[in-house]
Amino acid sequence: MHIGRIDESATLGDSWLHQVSPISKLLAFALVLAAVVLSWNVLVIASITLVLTAVAVSARLKGRLAFSLSAYPALFALIFAFSAATSVLGGAVIVLKAVTAALGAVIVILTTPYPYVFAPLQRVVPGIVGDALLMTYRSLFLLIEKFGNLLTAARLRAGLHAGHPVRSARATTRALGGLLLYSFDLSQRSYDIMRMRGYEGRLRVTLPRSAAPLIDAALVGGALLLAATSLLWRVGWRDLNPYSWIVLAVAALGLAAAAASTWPARGRTS
Amino acid sequence: MSHIHIPDGVLPFWLWAAGWAIALVMVGVAGRVAGRSEARRKVPLVGVVAALMIVSMSSEIVPIAYHVNLSVIGGILLGPALAVIAAFIVEAVLAMLGHGGVTVLGLNTMVIGAEMVLGWALFHAILKVIKPTRAGIGAGIATFLTLAVTTTLVVGIVWIGGGGEAAERETGALDPSTLRFENPFEEGLFEFGLFGDGHGDEDEDAEGERYLSVGRFALVVYTLGPVGWLLEALVTAGIIGYVARVRPRMVFEGALAEEMARIPGDETGGH
Repeated sequence: MHIGRIDESATLGDSWLHQVSPISKLLAFALVLAAVVLSWNVLVIASITLVLTAVAVSARLKGRLAFSLSAYPALFALIFAFSAATSVLGGAVIVLKAVTAALGAVIVILTTPYPYVFAPLQRVVPGIVGDALLMTYRSLFLLIEKFGNLLTAARLRAGLHAGHPVRSARATTRALGGLLLYSFDLSQRSYDIMRMRGYEGRLRVTLPRSAAPLIDAALVGGALLLAATSLLWRVGWRDLNPYSWIVLAVAALGLAAAAASTWPARGRTS
Repeated sequence: MSHIHIPDGVLPFWLWAAGWAIALVMVGVAGRVAGRSEARRKVPLVGVVAALMIVSMSSEIVPIAYHVNLSVIGGILLGPALAVIAAFIVEAVLAMLGHGGVTVLGLNTMVIGAEMVLGWALFHAILKVIKPTRAGIGAGIATFLTLAVTTTLVVGIVWIGGGGEAAERETGALDPSTLRFENPFEEGLFEFGLFGDGHGDEDEDAEGERYLSVGRFALVVYTLGPVGWLLEALVTAGIIGYVARVRPRMVFEGALAEEMARIPGDETGGH
């Protein structure tokens, strides 16, 4: 779990995508998701992947982080595709859909601080759910660090060893048990702190306004174009399928342009 | 089988939309029930349990694509109402981290919520017939049975979504001339290659064919699944056995009872 690096990217980044308002990014993500859901054309979905890659490149997101997170669901999608798809191409589409949708989500989470990502959801669910959603993220940081420390301690005491799987499993289970107890102490501490700070049953998150409304509009417009293309190819697949390569070529050009536009900056920093 | 690792856009719209609707109703009801008393105390508790589950889910055992879930433990500690809330939070966070589908978030909440609630119910049922000192074993048995049931639930979801007329219609393309949905796999895309014109030989057998092989999916899941169920059951048994020894109230009465029993200010005490 790269939670620390995700948060660092979301809060300290200063790319054009970081300037866009969270609502616009979520709206654009919803449209991209709609495009992925609508299409069963492997080239159209591959085009969406390329466009998202271009967005990630132009925003200078950490490539390894973004793509490792996006590739993670591919493992499970591969298993699902292997077990359920009735053709190779169908399986490829399933895996590509998983990676593309995940890439969209990852771009949002790498450019938007966590509270802003979930603020819209927080407004439609009961207070306890919305607040717990925000508390989860804070707890994640602390638990990951603590779990890492517990495992290190177990390793130093030779509790984790490849040659002794039973001993390793026992040590890991004890570490998880220790983590569980720690997490409840943490919960109690959090409650005490929240009560001291005057928490009365609702954490308020105010969404920031956009720093560049024109970029917001361009982002949502671009996502709308992707959704429209996907819909068009789905409705008119009989006539349009032979021309699917055009969409892919346009997306590839976009990616090349994005890479070229960031090249001088990358060169300077390297 | 804590959640369905099915990508966005594979299951039909009506199925995942229904999943979202049911999950939101479940979460709404659970939120109201949980909010009736001690709501402020429950917020950090649900937050840490959800975080704990996410931490455990973040490392998978690659050969069988399985990761520990701690969902039954979460259910035992939180009880049914808070468990449903935690399930929703876990899936929402994982979806935004690229781990799970956004569209299947509702279905995932139903599956993991069922896992937590069923695990809690089975554990307490088993506790009535075994000694409290055997709580770990009881938790392990409850976990194994729960995972078998929820895996079947997942296979059922794929069966509902992967076959029948509704699935064919949803996965097909809308023919503007007839306003009928047709399956793009029949022609053009799959039968005649990516660049085919879709006017080749008709394959009558393709008509009515499922686009997901549910039988093969079930075979794979039921072959790999028991290994995962066993691992999860062993881990759950170990953790619950350990916690039952050092903080028994937490296991037998729930985490909230444990917290209520704490001396105010003694946040590190208890064991």
